[in-house]
Amino acid sequence: MVYTKKSPALFIIGVIMLAIWYAAGNGMLDGYMEHLAAGKKYKYGAELTSIPMYFGILSVVIGAWQWFGSHREGSWDYYSSTVAGGMFILLIAMLVRWFIAPEIAVISMSMGKVGDTGKYIHKLLGLNYVVMGILTGIVIVNVFKVPEWAKNGVRLSRLGLKTGVILLGTLYSAAELKNLGGLSIIMIGFFVLGSVGMVLWMGAKRNIPNSMGGVLSAGMGVCGVSATVASAPVVQAKSVEIAYTIGTILLWGVGCMFIFPIIGNLLGMSHVQFGAWAGTGILNSAQVAGAALAYQPDGIETLKVAEIFNITRVLVLPIIVLWLAVWYVRREESVTETVNVGRVIFEKFPVFVLGFILLFALSTTGMFAPANHYKGKYFDNTKTKLLSPEQAQVLNSEANKVQVAERQEALQRLLSNGKIMSIDDDTTIRGLINAKVMSKDANKILKKAHKSVRHTAKKIKAFREWITWLFAFGLVGLGMQITVSSMKQAGGQPAVIGGVVGLTKAVLSLVVVMLIVGETV
Amino acid sequence: MENNFERGSALSIFGSDRREDFMALVFALIIAFGVYFTY
Repeated sequence: MVYTKKSPALFIIGVIMLAIWYAAGNGMLDGYMEHLAAGKKYKYGAELTSIPMYFGILSVVIGAWQWFGSHREGSWDYYSSTVAGGMFILLIAMLVRWFIAPEIAVISMSMGKVGDTGKYIHKLLGLNYVVMGILTGIVIVNVFKVPEWAKNGVRLSRLGLKTGVILLGTLYSAAELKNLGGLSIIMIGFFVLGSVGMVLWMGAKRNIPNSMGGVLSAGMGVCGVSATVASAPVVQAKSVEIAYTIGTILLWGVGCMFIFPIIGNLLGMSHVQFGAWAGTGILNSAQVAGAALAYQPDGIETLKVAEIFNITRVLVLPIIVLWLAVWYVRREESVTETVNVGRVIFEKFPVFVLGFILLFALSTTGMFAPANHYKGKYFDNTKTKLLSPEQAQVLNSEANKVQVAERQEALQRLLSNGKIMSIDDDTTIRGLINAKVMSKDANKILKKAHKSVRHTAKKIKAFREWITWLFAFGLVGLGMQITVSSMKQAGGQPAVIGGVVGLTKAVLSLVVVMLIVGETV
Repeated sequence: MENNFERGSALSIFGSDRREDFMALVFALIIAFGVYFTY
């Protein structure tokens, strides 16, 4: 069978990419970018003037060969024929990320913020380029069908996701674990493992496929798209099962984001209590932050606590993936007689999980960023420019406005040393900035002092960009494998299980928080 | 998704998950070392 189609499609895709690159590089898109940026700086300018050029040239060259060349059966024909589908997915990911998702955001912002949440509807619904990419893939396969020349390449999406998951390991470091509170580790450990166990148990009772139960348990137990995607290949989840899991998490997360702050206010919860509850009970990272900010819009104390819990939860991901790998292998093999579990695990254990752990280990050595980095940012005040006498005078004159003792002390240390002296002081100063108790000029000086001790690790930033594109590529391709008929086959069981487990987790975590969490963690 | 391919499966161009995993690992390591030496 000859897989390469004599079609101009790949060549045309390359021309479109080069046209985007040329138009962006020569200022032809400046007006449109300004419109999409909605008063801010357009985020993707650098990407627009580089990425389409590399892939455009590649597509034009291979596309011309596919269109005019002669093709014979063999491995070269098989693998090179995937380029057309791969570039098709990539072009869609580019259009969604650079133009469609920002356009949706502009429309959403023109409609104003939603109620007391202080957020726009696209933020609340998580309508970012990832979700839009999956939706676009679903629309293409169900409305227009995947073209013949692209079908082989669409099967590259899972390879892209696996590569992205392995690279995710670079974003974590063991040093982060040490900084997390003991309570968050115990609570998250209990609730993550409890949720995973409960979904697996309910799944078995309700006879849903192991792959569906496995991927849903990771999504409900840990959080969001990353956990779902990371666990999907381990339990061999189908595209429709991944879509169901993401849908259940997002639906539940959006509901919690609105309801949690109302309950928190009714119960008169402290910032620490609410942060601990939101970080444990809400499933998705974006909505954890949304609920915490909705509860305390004028400070970051709630958000800080919620994020500690949320990060702890994400860090449990490798353990859950390992558990699911062993669980799935044992369960799938349990129907056969006298199975050697060790051998089966050795044969079937997903190598990409080991890749994730390998890169996590490399990251922990400080190879890609200082070991104390958090999300690629780290504290370093050794080469910091000191406060000028004028700046110190402005801060000194307003020091009496600061009422909280911890903030007063951090501010005094900043004034006497001319720079922020520790990561804890930096966090406190950020809280002071967000509380807006000082004048705009004073806040500007504080922001400058904060920025001068916070550095972004270039390697981590580069990894994040790679991961972003690999996930965008993989998820658009994933969307192209989700058909309406396969959704119907899956039935409503995931939503039922997700609802029961989500509600149980929210209620139980509320009880635990109210009983054991006080004003401080 | 119906499998219309002689090689691989409906979801992957590779014949086995393990081969796909190894390819993903190879790509990830190439990217990781590329980033390490470039930045």
